[in-house]
Amino acid sequence: MSRLRATIIKEITLLWRDRAGMVILFVMPAVLVLVITLVQENVLKVMGEANTRVLFVDMDGSRLGKAIAEQLQELGTVELVREVNGNKINQPAAFELIRQGNFRFGIVIPKGIGDALKKRAKQVVARSLDDKAPSREDDAKLPEVMVYFDPAVRGGFRSAVLSTLNRVILRVEIDEKMAFFAELLPAHLEKNIEESMGFSYPGGVAMDFPPINIEWSKQPLLGVKEEFAFRSTYAKIPTSVQQNVPAWALFGMFFVVVPMAGALIRERETGTLARLLTMPVSGMCLLFGKVAAYVGVCLVQFTIIVLIGKYLLPFLGTPSLDMGSDPVAISVIVLSSILAATGYGIMLGSISRTYEQAAMFGAISVVIAAALGGIMVPVYAMPQLMQKISIVSPLGWGLDAFHDVFVRGGTVSDVLPESSALLVFFAATMLIAWIYLFRRIRTGS
Amino acid sequence: MPLSVDNECSDAEAPILAAHQLVKVYTGADRPAVDGLDITIRPGEIFGLLGPNGAGKTTTISIMSTLLLPTSGSVSICNTDGIKHPKKVRRMISLVPQDIALYPEMTARENLRYFGRLFGLQGKKLAERIENCLEQVGLENKGDKRVFSCSGGMKRRINLAVGILNKPIILFLDEPTVGIDAQSRNMILEKLLLLKDTGTTIVYTTHYMEEAEKLCTRIIILDDGKNIAEGRPRELVEDAPGCNNLQDFFFSLTGRDLRD
Repeated sequence: MSRLRATIIKEITLLWRDRAGMVILFVMPAVLVLVITLVQENVLKVMGEANTRVLFVDMDGSRLGKAIAEQLQELGTVELVREVNGNKINQPAAFELIRQGNFRFGIVIPKGIGDALKKRAKQVVARSLDDKAPSREDDAKLPEVMVYFDPAVRGGFRSAVLSTLNRVILRVEIDEKMAFFAELLPAHLEKNIEESMGFSYPGGVAMDFPPINIEWSKQPLLGVKEEFAFRSTYAKIPTSVQQNVPAWALFGMFFVVVPMAGALIRERETGTLARLLTMPVSGMCLLFGKVAAYVGVCLVQFTIIVLIGKYLLPFLGTPSLDMGSDPVAISVIVLSSILAATGYGIMLGSISRTYEQAAMFGAISVVIAAALGGIMVPVYAMPQLMQKISIVSPLGWGLDAFHDVFVRGGTVSDVLPESSALLVFFAATMLIAWIYLFRRIRTGS
Repeated sequence: MPLSVDNECSDAEAPILAAHQLVKVYTGADRPAVDGLDITIRPGEIFGLLGPNGAGKTTTISIMSTLLLPTSGSVSICNTDGIKHPKKVRRMISLVPQDIALYPEMTARENLRYFGRLFGLQGKKLAERIENCLEQVGLENKGDKRVFSCSGGMKRRINLAVGILNKPIILFLDEPTVGIDAQSRNMILEKLLLLKDTGTTIVYTTHYMEEAEKLCTRIIILDDGKNIAEGRPRELVEDAPGCNNLQDFFFSLTGRDLRD
């Protein structure tokens, strides 16, 4: 045990003294998670996949504006912004804020639109009941809700917003029309009955017409069910933070393969390993000492990235990192991922002949595994073929396990398959390392 | 007296190291690096392994120090089979490799502390050994200097200090004085003689013939993995007509052609 402790202390001392290496290990993944999350969050907003902040300028204050606001908020993906820096926004200010790219789009309810809507609704309903009602030409001017778009907003998202707004407006229209219909119908009936019965009609029969409950206009008759045609694994899509924080944490963990392999190769090149192998200490103790030291390093690295996701990214406008509700499952994933990464580092240091070879191959293989595993582009967004290939990436296993917990509310049992795969990977890499390193040195092959 | 000596090595006359018919053929090589070598070393000897480049010195020392497995043959140290029980043997030996086998980013003292712990030393005993070893190699005031900032001679001396931390029964030294200044070299040789006086057996490879002549009680000259001469340096020189020193004798056996 004291030999293992000595090896851990030695490894940490060497890492601590390698300040440039420490910066790469801790700063690189932190910067990556910050930059990529912010960029992706912006892309998702432009594509309409993330919560969108919408400027909302209600210059009318009528029921129409309130109804539009309520129904947009019911969508759950829209945040209405009525003030900027404590100031109420007017139409020119809204236009300017969108033009500057501060908001993706804005809705302006012009002054008088509520009255115009009522007037027009009354005219339309009255004409449907009475052909002597004023003709279309005399209708009030069509009131219009203004929508301003940032030119960067993609066509699909723009159409979706307009379609939503039209649907909201249609509901308001139906409400208004139904209200006037209920108001005008008794008088219209009274008039018709009187005309049919002539002088024998005592009057007032239709005026006792029971009031019409117009709430039915809000009750849907048909629904549309939305479902993603993905594998069940991707049924729920992570937010940009839930995607990027575990993704780049895994990338950072696996990037330790470069310093780990480098340290092992230096020991080989300087004859230190030869000296160590003639000492009364087992080779596995030496390797596990290295693994334990780097497990500590990766745990610190993971904690830093999670803190960024929890506290720094929300401060910069993204959602906070939702980590699900099973810390034990998270611990299992973190530990198995770190072990897989350190095992890979040890294996690389054992099979590579030079530091340059290990640094090049290590970095490139991690980047490829990251790309395949959905670190850079989510697996659900990949073509079918790439989704199939992605299952070979240990980073993909780790990310999938994190998503099981973060996004799909999974528990330890849900992450066991991925964690077990990572542990098997660790065992396999350590075995290969042992065969290459010790058997090769002892047999001189 | 070496720390590691146990009753298995109590017989002063019995060989402390016996290698029998050692053969080592590396994978892909067309000839053996070591070819049927028999070596017997008695306690307290400084045994020199000499030979031109590629003669099989490092391979032989690697096999004897349990680093490398022979293709065939046997090695026993203090009556313990070094091939079957390498872990047991490693408690009795120490290897000082040809390279500076140290961590350059750590200080001399930190290096000694780490290797000392791997030897099983702890606490006060470890601290005392570290100070003692630093003193033996004349670095008692330089122990907190990081290895990378030390001179070549200092590095070699720290390399040796690590090798003697566990007071080994047999100390294997692979070219311990290569590439250093005369003062450091002289100091290392003096320390090795002191170690011999305290009972440590030393197996030593070198290219410096005058060093071997001055230091070694017995030598073996290897060429192409074979034993081409063995004995006391003085006796070997005296028995060879026309040779004034070990270097003459060495050239008479191995020739003056370059070996690359």
